[in-house]
Amino acid sequence: MFPPRQDVLRLMPEIILSLSGILLMLIEPFLSGARRTLIVTLAALGSGLALVSTIYPATLPGTAFSGLLRIDGFSVFVHVVVEAVAFLVIIGSADYLDREKIQHGEYYALVLFATVGMCVMAGAAELMTAFVGLETSSISTYILAGYRRDVPRSNESAMKYFLLGSFATAFFLYGIALLYGATGTTQLARMTFPTTPGRERLLDLGLGLMLVGLAFKIAAAPFQLWTPDVYEGAPTPVTALMASGPKAAAFALLLRILATVGAAGTFWFWALWVSAALTMFVGNLAAIAQSNVKRMLAYSSISHAGYILVALAAAAASDQVELGVAAVLYYLAVYALMKLGAFIFVSQLGGESERHMEIDDFRGLAVRQPVAAACFALFLLSLLGLPVTSGFLGKFYIFNAALASRLIWLAVLLAINTVIAAFYYLRVIVVMYMRQPNQTWPPAPMPWAVTFVLSIAAAGTFYLGLFPGRVMALATQAALSLPGR
Amino acid sequence: MNQTHILSWILFTPLIGAIVLLFVPRQLDNAQRVIGNVFGFLGLAVSLPLIWRFQIGTPGYQFRENYDWIPSIGAHYSLGIDGISFLLVMLTTILGAISILSSWSAIQNRKKEYYILFLLLQTGMLGVFMALDFFLFYLFWEVMLVPMYFLIGVWGSDRRLYAAIKFFLYTLAGSVLMLLAILALYYRAHEVAGAGAAYTFDIPTSLGAVPQFSTTLQRILFWGFFFAFAIKVPMFPFHTWLPDAHTEAPTAGSVILAGVLLKMGTYGFIRFSLPLLPTDAVARQHIINILMVLSVVGIIYGALVCLMQKDMKKLIAYSSVSHLGFCTLGIFALNPHGVSGSVIQQINHGISTGALFLIVGVLYERRHTRMISEYGGLSTPMPNFAAIYLIATLSSLGLPLLNGFIGEFTILSGVFQVSLRWTAWAVVGIVLGAAYLLWLYQRVMFGPVTNPMNEHLPDLNMREYATLVPLMLLAFWIGIYPKPLFRVLDVPVRQIVEQVNPGYYNSATAQRWGEKPPVAAANDAARTESDSTKALAASAPPAIIAASSEPIAVNTAEKR
Amino acid sequence: MTPQLVIFLVLAAIAIAGAVNVILQRHPIHSAISLISVMIALAGLFLLLESEFIAVVQIIVYAGAIMVLFVFVIMLLNAGAEERTNMSRMARYAGVPLAIFLLIELAYQIGAAALSMTPQPLAEDVTRRLSMLLFQDFVFPFELTSILILIAILGALVLAQRGESVPAKGGPKTIT
Repeated sequence: MFPPRQDVLRLMPEIILSLSGILLMLIEPFLSGARRTLIVTLAALGSGLALVSTIYPATLPGTAFSGLLRIDGFSVFVHVVVEAVAFLVIIGSADYLDREKIQHGEYYALVLFATVGMCVMAGAAELMTAFVGLETSSISTYILAGYRRDVPRSNESAMKYFLLGSFATAFFLYGIALLYGATGTTQLARMTFPTTPGRERLLDLGLGLMLVGLAFKIAAAPFQLWTPDVYEGAPTPVTALMASGPKAAAFALLLRILATVGAAGTFWFWALWVSAALTMFVGNLAAIAQSNVKRMLAYSSISHAGYILVALAAAAASDQVELGVAAVLYYLAVYALMKLGAFIFVSQLGGESERHMEIDDFRGLAVRQPVAAACFALFLLSLLGLPVTSGFLGKFYIFNAALASRLIWLAVLLAINTVIAAFYYLRVIVVMYMRQPNQTWPPAPMPWAVTFVLSIAAAGTFYLGLFPGRVMALATQAALSLPGR
Repeated sequence: MNQTHILSWILFTPLIGAIVLLFVPRQLDNAQRVIGNVFGFLGLAVSLPLIWRFQIGTPGYQFRENYDWIPSIGAHYSLGIDGISFLLVMLTTILGAISILSSWSAIQNRKKEYYILFLLLQTGMLGVFMALDFFLFYLFWEVMLVPMYFLIGVWGSDRRLYAAIKFFLYTLAGSVLMLLAILALYYRAHEVAGAGAAYTFDIPTSLGAVPQFSTTLQRILFWGFFFAFAIKVPMFPFHTWLPDAHTEAPTAGSVILAGVLLKMGTYGFIRFSLPLLPTDAVARQHIINILMVLSVVGIIYGALVCLMQKDMKKLIAYSSVSHLGFCTLGIFALNPHGVSGSVIQQINHGISTGALFLIVGVLYERRHTRMISEYGGLSTPMPNFAAIYLIATLSSLGLPLLNGFIGEFTILSGVFQVSLRWTAWAVVGIVLGAAYLLWLYQRVMFGPVTNPMNEHLPDLNMREYATLVPLMLLAFWIGIYPKPLFRVLDVPVRQIVEQVNPGYYNSATAQRWGEKPPVAAANDAARTESDSTKALAASAPPAIIAASSEPIAVNTAEKR
Repeated sequence: MTPQLVIFLVLAAIAIAGAVNVILQRHPIHSAISLISVMIALAGLFLLLESEFIAVVQIIVYAGAIMVLFVFVIMLLNAGAEERTNMSRMARYAGVPLAIFLLIELAYQIGAAALSMTPQPLAEDVTRRLSMLLFQDFVFPFELTSILILIAILGALVLAQRGESVPAKGGPKTIT
């Protein structure tokens, strides 16, 4: 039995991604000579094509595969974010892999497969499918985290990520089982609020366990402990991927469950509130103490998860769900771009074996490489949330959603955190611009691929910061396309 | 109203300059300087037509431009100026051009970035004074932080990093709170406007809805905005970033910082804080009392600290705290004298303090020290410099016939209508101001040349004349014939006072300000007092009653 | 006490004891064998619930294939007895109590929920319905699992090539 044509069309991005991943694995042994260029081109082409083909299902909203997948504005939005991240990471990784002498086709195949998993998470309308998607993306990233096999820290990173990640997915799976027990279905849309008190209890328990599993994936406190070690040990382009892609997918899944399952909103609101507040403070306060840029960025990504959680709490708190959801989506796009840019920049600057990751290594970079330093400064200012950069508008929409839902205290905490965060972002800028250059270590010039990624990220950061209208309209549409409770 | 784009041109000329500079190769050192200066003056040139096109006496905003920007949240690209912002825009373009010129030889490394950032800073500051949309306003307000931060941090002196970060964090802390307040205002204004109304960030519309808010919300909003402005001004307990930033910044940075940046805070007070004052008389009086105390403390504290400074630049920096205290004092007198005096004093402070910073810069370029003890008897080798320095000093301390006198006098007459006590304290500040400025002048310029290194210092060169002489001319002009400024301010100030303090005009039969019969003023004050004491007696503990009704009591006693 | 309850209690006891033993044993091979007993006991529990198919799958896949793989790997690695380490302070004072708390909480909640629910008879023809579900309604996640397995193989390859120097750029590369 072959699935109907429409279903296949709706699944086109995933199919293209998987096929190009498999193709890469197949042809790699036969290649010699101009291997690298061809592999990178193929991988980039795969993700690029997927990106293009995502636009197509946008015209075909509906469900596919007997209601397991749902193609709507929401899933398309997240698809685009995730695929764009994959595209940029693939291009940005090439030079890094050369330098570390781990240039294999498998790397790109894994990135593509991870993207398949994230795409499925974004479109899943059923929990088993979501789970398989989650596993697909997680396992690929576990492997990618340990890709520098000869480096103990990378191994540690993969191991830690794997152990804790499996633990989290187990929680998620257990949650699904309990939810199934409570409602008799795993289809999100069919989950109704059970009337018998026993089932109600099961539902709460299941939702709670699922929240724990997903909170781990998005690195929300108190489940964020793994993040700094894993992010620091993983190859930096992989960190770029982990910080932006899977996080976006996990948030998307969380949003979909939150929006679709009745009872989820009220149940999760306080959990989200507390977790948001904790996450922001934990991330920002720990980031201040870091001297390693990569680790600092890892902590900063924890705090950003906290900011997004504020918007989630806002979505859970009010009747105007779409305001909060749109804010989450917009921030995800914004955050993916700036974080990716920052990590890719760091990956290039780190040099061989990522030796130059201390803040002090960035001394006087503005004199040595004015353009690259300006890009990095831009990303940092955007992460900080200054106007004209996309980070400001992202944060603005979150403030907006929080105040619309009357979460005034959470908004105030977010404001306080912005100021705390300024401290450590500025420190890097200070070092780059206001100190004498490091004499012993001249950084290598930026290769064109990295320059390309940085300029796209920078252009996106400006575009989303100055003309948010179009993307925000899409995000709002996406939020409205979520089936309501 | 016909659409003109003159404001956009003024706003974006510096930005265009910055973008052009981006593409000038790094090797062409001199070209960068030249282009930077060209665009600095171009920025001034495009703003000159405002002078004859600005219609004095027309109420409301002029040269309005309004385009949709982010329709989903109701943010507009909306510009417009009234008399108050007109003067501040002119001050910005003039001081901008002068400070860019003053950097010609002072900045030797990384010129390209310097001029780019300076031009960006210009755009940011101009935007703050022109924006009529909260979103746009906030954007410019924050954006101008970054270039200033770099200017201090990269081209400043020894403790520049500390100063730069302190400046950034202080200002950011204030402005984030303001963002929350803006959003709260945005939602509440929409609720007040009714379900059918569109969300809007339009400043006049949003502020127009404020009187319908609850007193609690008005209070919260007022304080939300207050911190951002108070840090920027800076008012007394929030001033600690200022001496560091001013002292460490390069000369041109200090000029802009003192001349324009601080005015963003006072501008914010006039434009936003006054309309946000609670409509409830008790709550309002409570706030006003606090602000008056802070202003007066700022005036006197700033002046006293000045007396013990060893560093010239730091002395002038602290003198800003004192002078800006006058500005806020005038604003919260809530009458036309106070407010328009305050605006004029802001302009004056830009001119005089800007000139003083330039003068310190002149000395610093020659000797690379700012310590007062290093100098002495400079009037012998540098006579022309001595003359200009004297004019700047006198203008700053408020000698009649020079600009400072006009501003301070008008403010004091405004404050006098409210309370004698505050006026008396403020006069103490003026006396102290004369003391520290003259003492500084004496120590630096008079007497024998004590330090042999100072014996052959060259006098001013052409470029330095070009930066200082225009400021001196402005100082004389405002001091001798300030009428045009008052005419420009008349209508907007009256509008603000009518909105904020309607009692002022209601009881006065004469419409022109300054002709208010004292009896009416006394009646006013008496009424306010009885209202407030009654309400307070019902609600507040006795200590607060005493504290908040005291100045009014003094006031009425005086009038009777 | 019905015979079913007796059987349940026995099987449950075996499962729990086996699971605890997996952790307590110091030699991996002992742990693996305890795990087999857990799997078999679980299969028995499924039989008790009239799910013959799952019971058989449990034995064939877990107790059979996967456990054989485990044992092979342990033998290949020639893993010896593990060293015991002291629990970290964090684990002792925070971890253990929290774990016990979680256990009690889950047991309580599920127990409370189960008490208030009425048991429902299982439908006829479980195997057939299961395969219909798996290959028709849930064919998508089922197929996706194949990618998952592919990733696992890929991961094993990538991570297991330890110490082997990577051929220079452009050179031929062998995958073993």
